[in-house]
Amino acid sequence: MVSFPEILERATRGPIMSPKDFDMKVFIPKVREVVENYKIRYDPGTPCPADDDLADRIYQAALDLYADVGTYVIDTERVIQFSREEIEDAVYEAPREAYFGEGPERCVFKGRKPDDSEIPHCHVGSGTDTTEDVALKMVEAYGRISKAKTVSIPSVTSLGSLKSSAGSPVEALAGISMMRTGREGLRRAGRPGMGIINHMSSCAQGVSTIAASNPQFGARPSDGWLIAPHAELKIDHSSLNQVAYLTSWGANLGQEAGPIMGGYAGGPEGTAVVTTAYCFHGILVARAIYHLTYPVHMNYVCSTTPDMLYVVSTSSQAVSRNVGVPYYALGYAAAGSATKQYFYEAAAYLLAIQSSGIGIEDVHPNKAVVTNGALPIDSEFTCSFGHGMVGITRKEANQIIKRLMETYLSGIKNPPRGRILNECYDILTMRPDDELRRTYDEAIRELRGLGIRFK
Amino acid sequence: MTEDDILKGIEEAIVRGDKERSARLVEESLGGVDPLSIIQGGMMPAMEKVGDRFSCGEIYLPEMLMATEAWNEAMKLLKPKMLEAGESIGKIGTVVIGAVQTDVHEIGKNIVATLLSTAGFEVHDLGIDISASKFIGKAEEVDADIIAASAIMTTTMTYQRDILEHLVAGGLRDKYIVLVGGGVVNQKWADEIGADGYGETAVEGVRVAKELLSRRRGG
Repeated sequence: MVSFPEILERATRGPIMSPKDFDMKVFIPKVREVVENYKIRYDPGTPCPADDDLADRIYQAALDLYADVGTYVIDTERVIQFSREEIEDAVYEAPREAYFGEGPERCVFKGRKPDDSEIPHCHVGSGTDTTEDVALKMVEAYGRISKAKTVSIPSVTSLGSLKSSAGSPVEALAGISMMRTGREGLRRAGRPGMGIINHMSSCAQGVSTIAASNPQFGARPSDGWLIAPHAELKIDHSSLNQVAYLTSWGANLGQEAGPIMGGYAGGPEGTAVVTTAYCFHGILVARAIYHLTYPVHMNYVCSTTPDMLYVVSTSSQAVSRNVGVPYYALGYAAAGSATKQYFYEAAAYLLAIQSSGIGIEDVHPNKAVVTNGALPIDSEFTCSFGHGMVGITRKEANQIIKRLMETYLSGIKNPPRGRILNECYDILTMRPDDELRRTYDEAIRELRGLGIRFK
Repeated sequence: MTEDDILKGIEEAIVRGDKERSARLVEESLGGVDPLSIIQGGMMPAMEKVGDRFSCGEIYLPEMLMATEAWNEAMKLLKPKMLEAGESIGKIGTVVIGAVQTDVHEIGKNIVATLLSTAGFEVHDLGIDISASKFIGKAEEVDADIIAASAIMTTTMTYQRDILEHLVAGGLRDKYIVLVGGGVVNQKWADEIGADGYGETAVEGVRVAKELLSRRRGG
């Protein structure tokens, strides 16, 4: 595989290009071309296609795309380019397993296949905005979910009266604070060795991430760090700095990417291709051994509409069939937490990704924009679903998704707000109130009626 | 070919994002058709159509950008002629837009900028990682009506508040309509920092911009 020093060489010696030319003259035309060449079509009636040939065409289209486009480096205004052979070589060498955590909590996250009969990797938690006063309790609650293998810890944007801003000293302090909170929360849950794999959600800038990653605050190389690109297929020095530091430390690196459906990638077909291409960028540029994807709808800002389910299911199949690296997806529900619509949207998304052969993570309520909007019950739902639906096929998933969409699509535009953690949990015991328990039980009963199994 | 046919052809070329064709048709028509008629009768209806199709999800950003490029190519030919004739296109307002300090995410901001342009605003796009003082400096320079600030992350949205605080500190708060948007931004945040408006989506942002401007002007 092309080495990391060679990546840095190309980042400073690659062809010079303005960002606008990269978008307009290279990226957009090439996406359109490969979608056409490989005859990739979206069928709104099939949100989760069981079409191996389509998945493989999307994979080939993504290979063509990335071999032509590469990764744009914002700071140097140059393009890191790869030959098709180099990309295929990287795919061949990419590890199919990632190991997280310590001691009894050490776990392996493996690549799966579509229609797989193995339990998916169940990842819980949320890196969304959380107030400092409940963050510790949240992590502890996540850690108590025994089926959860790895965890995301919250992001805080305030420390007392100090408000965090990207690149400010408070951001570094917020990252350090959450690092310590994460470890302590898991210790309280009796699982101190559990791998935290969303470092550093409290930090937007590389310098803060690096500061908070110092082992004296609790970070371990067996955790996981997510390296974010910029849309689409761009990276900056801040992210490359993180890669440089963390690879030097031997830490697990992951790549996260949230392509925008309706943005430069175009419609669902182009977005499926671009989402797949991020896997190559992740392996080569972000040096990722695990991959998180979260494509999102430009207008609805969620990922449970039929076109978004098509994007995530087909791109996941393209990766799981042809690459096989540890790969999981994060969905955004339009509905707020503690609502039945949330559980319906979450079920549809989890059906699409689990049957498509990847790992699962909690679907985030309220498009992930509400402070304290994520609830531990969402994580219980995810794990219970993941274990109950072992062996679900894409064909079965597609049928259930269609029935689920009948119940929630009309609520996507004006979704219910729901209730945040402080409104539906006893913060001392971290138990849901009776109303939420009733809502959850009803949702589970109704979902069972549609053929969904929980364990 | 009648004037209607020519205008229809220009409209179609822009809708399809065919900049060569739109420029050629404009060039050919310049002898016989008034530049302002070309804009109002062919080009503006084209951009309205593009905006509508984008709003309802029939087309996406690439098609929108291609249409905008076709519009720009045509305008390059028309502007000198209009200057000669002392004509100008009416604009509904002036917007200074950018992604806030330390935020380098630009897609959403670019979509809003494009939609604002097609809606008739004069748009000054400052790009990404823009400090509060740069937003305000540009707004003062171009006599803007609106400052639109995008932030995509919880750790960058605080810089939206900075813009408002700088405006207050400079005694300029009432001079500008301040709009905020971006992935993590919501109405609650907009209210908390005292922004005038918020759009969850690009389309919504443009609607809010128009509405607030019209309200300010007593419309």
